[in-house]
Amino acid sequence: MSRLRRFLRDNAVPLALLSPAVLVILLVVLLPLLFSLYTSFSNYRLIRPESLWDVVWFRNYLRVLGDGDFWAALGRTVLFLTLVLNLEMLLGLGLALMVNRLTFGQRTMRTIMMFPMMFSPILVGFQFKYMFNDTIGVVNNALQSLGLTSHAIPFLVDRWLAFASIAIAEIWMSTSIFAILILAGLFAMPRDPVEAARVDGCTNWQVFRHITLPFLMPFIYIAMTIRSLDVARAYDIVDVMTGGGPAGRTELLWTLIARTAYDDSRMGQANAMAYVSILLSIFFTWYFFRKLMAARKHLGVF
Amino acid sequence: MSRRQKDILIWIGTFLVMLVICMPGLWVVLSAFRPNGEILTKPAVWIPRDLSWDNFRAIFGFGDAVVAIPVGSYFLNSLIISVTSTVVAVVIGMSGGYAFARYRFPGKGAAFLWLMLSRCVPGIALSLPLFIMWSWTGLIDTKLGVIIVYTAINVPFTVWLTEGFFRQVPRDLSEAAQIDGCTPWQAFWKVEFPLAKSGIASAAIFAFLTSWNEYALASQLTRSTDSKTLPVGLMDFTAQFTIDWAGMSAMAVIIIIPALVLTFLVQKHLIAGLTFGGVKG
Amino acid sequence: MAEVSLRNVVKRYGGHKVVHGIDLDIAHNEFVVLVGPSGCGKSTTLRMIAGLEEISEGEISIGDRVVNRLAPRQRNISMVFQNYALYPHMTVRENLGFSLKIAGKPPAEIEAAADEAARILGLQPYMDRTPGELSGGQRQRVAMGRAIVRHPDVFLFDEPLSNLDAKLRTQMRVEIKKLHRQVGTTVVYVTHDQVEAMTLADRIVIMKDGHIVQTGTPLEVFERPVNTFVASFIGSPPMNLVKGELRGGVVELAGGGQLPVPPGIQTPPEGARVIFGFRADNFMPVGHGLAETGPVALLELPVTLAEPLGAESLILTELAGVEVQGKMLNPRPIQPGEVLSFQLSLDRCHLFDADTGKSLR
Repeated sequence: MSRLRRFLRDNAVPLALLSPAVLVILLVVLLPLLFSLYTSFSNYRLIRPESLWDVVWFRNYLRVLGDGDFWAALGRTVLFLTLVLNLEMLLGLGLALMVNRLTFGQRTMRTIMMFPMMFSPILVGFQFKYMFNDTIGVVNNALQSLGLTSHAIPFLVDRWLAFASIAIAEIWMSTSIFAILILAGLFAMPRDPVEAARVDGCTNWQVFRHITLPFLMPFIYIAMTIRSLDVARAYDIVDVMTGGGPAGRTELLWTLIARTAYDDSRMGQANAMAYVSILLSIFFTWYFFRKLMAARKHLGVF
Repeated sequence: MSRRQKDILIWIGTFLVMLVICMPGLWVVLSAFRPNGEILTKPAVWIPRDLSWDNFRAIFGFGDAVVAIPVGSYFLNSLIISVTSTVVAVVIGMSGGYAFARYRFPGKGAAFLWLMLSRCVPGIALSLPLFIMWSWTGLIDTKLGVIIVYTAINVPFTVWLTEGFFRQVPRDLSEAAQIDGCTPWQAFWKVEFPLAKSGIASAAIFAFLTSWNEYALASQLTRSTDSKTLPVGLMDFTAQFTIDWAGMSAMAVIIIIPALVLTFLVQKHLIAGLTFGGVKG
Repeated sequence: MAEVSLRNVVKRYGGHKVVHGIDLDIAHNEFVVLVGPSGCGKSTTLRMIAGLEEISEGEISIGDRVVNRLAPRQRNISMVFQNYALYPHMTVRENLGFSLKIAGKPPAEIEAAADEAARILGLQPYMDRTPGELSGGQRQRVAMGRAIVRHPDVFLFDEPLSNLDAKLRTQMRVEIKKLHRQVGTTVVYVTHDQVEAMTLADRIVIMKDGHIVQTGTPLEVFERPVNTFVASFIGSPPMNLVKGELRGGVVELAGGGQLPVPPGIQTPPEGARVIFGFRADNFMPVGHGLAETGPVALLELPVTLAEPLGAESLILTELAGVEVQGKMLNPRPIQPGEVLSFQLSLDRCHLFDADTGKSLR
């Protein structure tokens, strides 16, 4: 007890300064999560409030784990994340290298590059839904006008086309975050090692591969970490573009949770799935954070 | 090819790429000014024939076409919710960020990590318990309810950003100010705060954009015109089988404009804020 | 009028003691330099005087006030920081006037005080620039100007010159000394550079591992170092130290050869392990030194290396297997391997106890 009191006394100022942040997160994140952890062990259904006290232990989890739809959604989500993050990284790297080569108008281009970042995910979803629409979508219209296809391509209906369309929307929205962070890395890059490598006889590709890229890795991992923090925003895109349909063909973990909770009103089971999604997010963030730390240590410059 | 010519070619190439990137957004903006009839025509009309403000008039309830979507209230809700939650999140974040930047205390690293991890929780996963708890406490479908949630989801990031910026302000400046006769409080406001201002501004912009654009939580926590925000309101245009594309486009423009203006006004800060993470972590 | 006195001052971080009970009295208008290697507790001591670090034990008073519980702003001190700590968002004028503005002085008075400080330090042309637009030396001046504007009881300097290049450092050293003459205030100055300490101080306080090792005027600590640490820390090049044993009234060097016991030494017991110390200034080749008045010892030694400095050369040689340095006035070219006859001025030599390092003088 006295140790606690001493801890409080010695650290009174920082604790006081931190308390509002801790308090608000406790109230809005931690407490609800504890509650949802409890409900994930109950048979809670929204339409039957008394079912909140019906503790079923691991039944929700067992049911979720035995559910083919869940595994399909989980697999799709992991595939989606892997695909999307890597493509964003590659495209962002390309964009950044391109802008970095500009000798004039660099600021303007950088500003234009940030354009997609201002779009709300829900807007991005709407915009691509509009573009990929099978009757009035600009993509189909263009393809038909150019005579590349005689009939409308059902972008948002076909299983893989819909998945690809959603991925494109997501990539469009988030690539610029990678581009900007990598560009910052390129700006911060010291000239000497590059020049030394040139003197040592490296080709452009070798310079990029052995000097520039290792230096950029921490920036790439920072972008990865930031992105995995809010990658679940893809829910918005999917929700507006396909709603997880048709017939669950584009269901990601997040849309499945929403449907289970609000449409089927099976809160307990939805919460069990939500915990899986939280663990997934934490895993991705943690993974890239570790990579970031390792890259920094390796470079020894930060 | 001369160096100059090569530079120009690279510029043109980059510009074309940027144009392609901007196309989807520009297409929606263009559609906002075209009548529904033109959008729906088959075969497609490529060159817009009549551009007008009709869609905007319609969604705000002027003109012939009656659209029963209270965009005005949504806009106001969005504005109130975003501004309030941003201000509160920045104040709280500044306080926390300062503590992390300036003081040593046991468990600091762990505290920071947990704060950041709280950002990992997907909005939809958080919405489930919040939906129930807010229903019990009567916070459901109120602006206050959304403000509280947005404040909390913005705090980790504002703490992170402001911490970095305060850490950049040398500690001895505050000490010098205290020797010059300031109380610690004065030293903060007269010396440290002005120097971290750009970081705080970028934290504020990020928070505002997050709140302004958020959908997953708002879609579950709001029900009526009392609290529905613009992103949630966008779904009003989707009926069971039809979508009012023109109206939706107009509303999209309304959502994007404040974000656009704000971002361009302060893009320097925005880039500083984003790149900061890359440089210092 | 402000004396500063430290009574058994202790600083502890957690369980770790970094300052071990320091006693020090600084007179009014005295220029005291705390010097020592990094980590010796000198900066911590200064920061405790400033009120930037809490005092774990003991008492510090400024004038007749005990200041332990006073905030920095209540102590009427000013401080020049190592990195200057100028407010980057204010002009030079605003930087200079900041403390008076905080004190609520009328604008006219602030203006006058800032102008006066600018005049003393030659800052008038830069008054409307921000620190970012100034050179290192100018920033240094602004930092000093900010300190004098307040007419504090005590000036504190925390390694103020360590970020300047060698030439500017010498120049600013002179200016600090002049400034002290001009404003005449008590100064506590921290540095790791013994040249700065020697040139600036009325009194030098040499610290090591949180203890005061020796206090005295520059000449006292130079001529009468209390132990081998001070002997090798003060003076450049550092004092030559050669190990030996006392046998029959002479020092038998560990690596062979012997040296007489310097005069004025309380003779230690036979067989005692000692360290023989002498400075390069008192170890010169015959014909290239000063006329000697006292007893000398002559040593024939081969030169390892000669470093010409112009007016003199540093001569590296080996005495009983230990590398030692000598000095050569009116130098001539020397080839490595050349054997020179060195004269050692015995009354300027030192003898230390090899176990404790303490001076036997």
